[in-house]
Amino acid sequence: MTMQELYAAIGGDYAHAQRIMKLDKMIAKYLGKLVASGMDERLRAAGETLEPTEMFEAAHAMKGVCANLGLVALADAVGAVTEEFRPGATRQRSDAEVRALLDEVYALYQRVADGVAQYGEQS
Amino acid sequence: MMMVRKLKRRPLVLVVDDQEINRDLLGMILADEYEVAFAEHGEQALQILRERHQTVSLVLLDLMMPVMDGFEVLRQMREAPELARVPVIVLTADKSAELKALQMGAADFVTKPFDLPEVILARVARIVELAERREVILATERDPLTHLYTRSYFLEYVEQILASHPDYRMDAVVIDIERFHALNDLNGREYGDTVLRALAAAILEFLDSTDGIACRIEPDRFDIFCRHRDDYQAVLDHFEAKMTALSGRATVLLRMGVKPWREGVAPLVMFDRARVACNMLRGNAQTHLMVFDDEMHQREVYRQRLLNDLRPALEERQFIVYYQPKFNILCDPPRLSSSEALIRWKHPEFGMVSPGEFIPLFETHGCIHLIDDYVWKEAARQVAAWRDEFGVVVPASVNLSRSDLFDPTLRERLSQLVRDYDLEPRHLKLEVTESAYTDDPAQLAASLSALRALGFEIEMDDFGSGYSSLNMLSTLPIDVLKMDMKFIQNVGADKKSFRLVELIIDIARYLQVPVVAEGVETAEQISLLRSAGCKLVQGYYFSKPLPAEEFAKMIQKELVLEKETVS
Repeated sequence: MTMQELYAAIGGDYAHAQRIMKLDKMIAKYLGKLVASGMDERLRAAGETLEPTEMFEAAHAMKGVCANLGLVALADAVGAVTEEFRPGATRQRSDAEVRALLDEVYALYQRVADGVAQYGEQS
Repeated sequence: MMMVRKLKRRPLVLVVDDQEINRDLLGMILADEYEVAFAEHGEQALQILRERHQTVSLVLLDLMMPVMDGFEVLRQMREAPELARVPVIVLTADKSAELKALQMGAADFVTKPFDLPEVILARVARIVELAERREVILATERDPLTHLYTRSYFLEYVEQILASHPDYRMDAVVIDIERFHALNDLNGREYGDTVLRALAAAILEFLDSTDGIACRIEPDRFDIFCRHRDDYQAVLDHFEAKMTALSGRATVLLRMGVKPWREGVAPLVMFDRARVACNMLRGNAQTHLMVFDDEMHQREVYRQRLLNDLRPALEERQFIVYYQPKFNILCDPPRLSSSEALIRWKHPEFGMVSPGEFIPLFETHGCIHLIDDYVWKEAARQVAAWRDEFGVVVPASVNLSRSDLFDPTLRERLSQLVRDYDLEPRHLKLEVTESAYTDDPAQLAASLSALRALGFEIEMDDFGSGYSSLNMLSTLPIDVLKMDMKFIQNVGADKKSFRLVELIIDIARYLQVPVVAEGVETAEQISLLRSAGCKLVQGYYFSKPLPAEEFAKMIQKELVLEKETVS
């Protein structure tokens, strides 16, 4: 599996990642950092209570990093969570809909984690 | 040759983002061009900035962060002057935050997700360069000690004020600290700096109440360009009160010169005139404010003409040396003893210019040595000429200015001069004014001793006119004491004056130094001086100062008299 194939598999923008990080090994390094960061755990913890501030901060943090790494699908999904809980904004989704959105985020995140692991095993 | 670029420190960029990956990505993008420091949140960023604000060239600041967000960082940076100079580029994905950040002082923004690295680098480079230029401008625009404008920016802004407000009536004000160097020497430079800062603060406080700008134009001199007013005495009083309140350690006296607004006078000229007014107050203990007026202007133009005309006048021999005889009154009849060489300036436009006008002027402007050289040479030439014509030497006295006395080449200059005309040093007597004693008595004594060792005779001029002390008489190596003419003027009118003259002659006799009485005009004065034992007399009683050819006739008469006495 090449990095380009990995990005295709996880719904990412490889061209963006390459523009920022230049080399595949740098892209791999930062994807590895993302997976190791436990960023998803903070979101999962917030997702238990749906406490708005914590939800916004956890989602916002993940969205920013994912967007910079070119993980477009994950960034878009978690971006929707961010907007749902943006301070001052009115909630658009029910809690159930948010939990469904979070499940989508977790799944996308898991795809990234699995893909990164697979890429690591091959290289 | 080493390139400047290599010598130059790489700018330091502080990346502030709560996400390690974002920090790393930016660090990676910047690493080739910049030193990079990192902070995880606003509080940490401010701590780094406070410690390293002089070296941080730029902050890349995320807005949404735990502990302290980017907006609070911007707010605190704006409130701290030392941090406000550091430019900030905000990192944001939120369009609505961009405007707020820019309004809070951010210089630019970088969108998230990050754009092309080249775009980020270009934005960073542009802002760093702009900030560096601003730093350079700030460093040259303001005096670092007082934060007032520097000379060049001040003059530029003066022009701008006049161009943008042609209806404003603006005055030029110059403030000088009296004897600032002495203040520095006595109390230390740190104290001197404190005084300068305090005066600058008082000036800025004054400018809060009017339209105007100020600069430190010289180390201890301030220029102010402000709206016309008439109460400068009150302004000066306020400044002096601030100086007095500063410390009881030293008295700080100010001088203020003002050139009030007049249509059509260029700012530089206005400040020149304010400076002239200020300089006229030098050493004046009573008055500290001088407003430049038309009379002063005419006088200044005249003085400037004299200064400009000095060198051509020397070349064209407009200066004429006159000789006033000194007579020995202990002989009967009195006999010609020597002369004093006195300069006159026959100006082609102004006619005869009094030495009382041009000598102090040339002394102040450091060109009196040109006059002294001229008189010395002319007097030596004339004494030699009379010697060759009449077979007798009638010595001439010439003046030594203060600047001559501290000239290391003085001995050689005078020795060469008497050699050139085959004279003995005692044929050219050297007159030193007593006020020279106040400058540096030890140096003066050393200089005079060296001249005496060569055979020159020293005459102490104007004794009793100013700072006189018995100590001066006992420590200075002098050969003749010239009593100031003020003593003589009243000698016949009251007993006290005569007693004083007797006293001076007694002291001189005790010190074995002959006395010359100057300004003698009457037979009564001659009689009294003779009775007091005064040997030598100079004054209109015998003769006014004469041109050389007139004086020659006096020598001829003297020779005839001598022949008659012998036969």
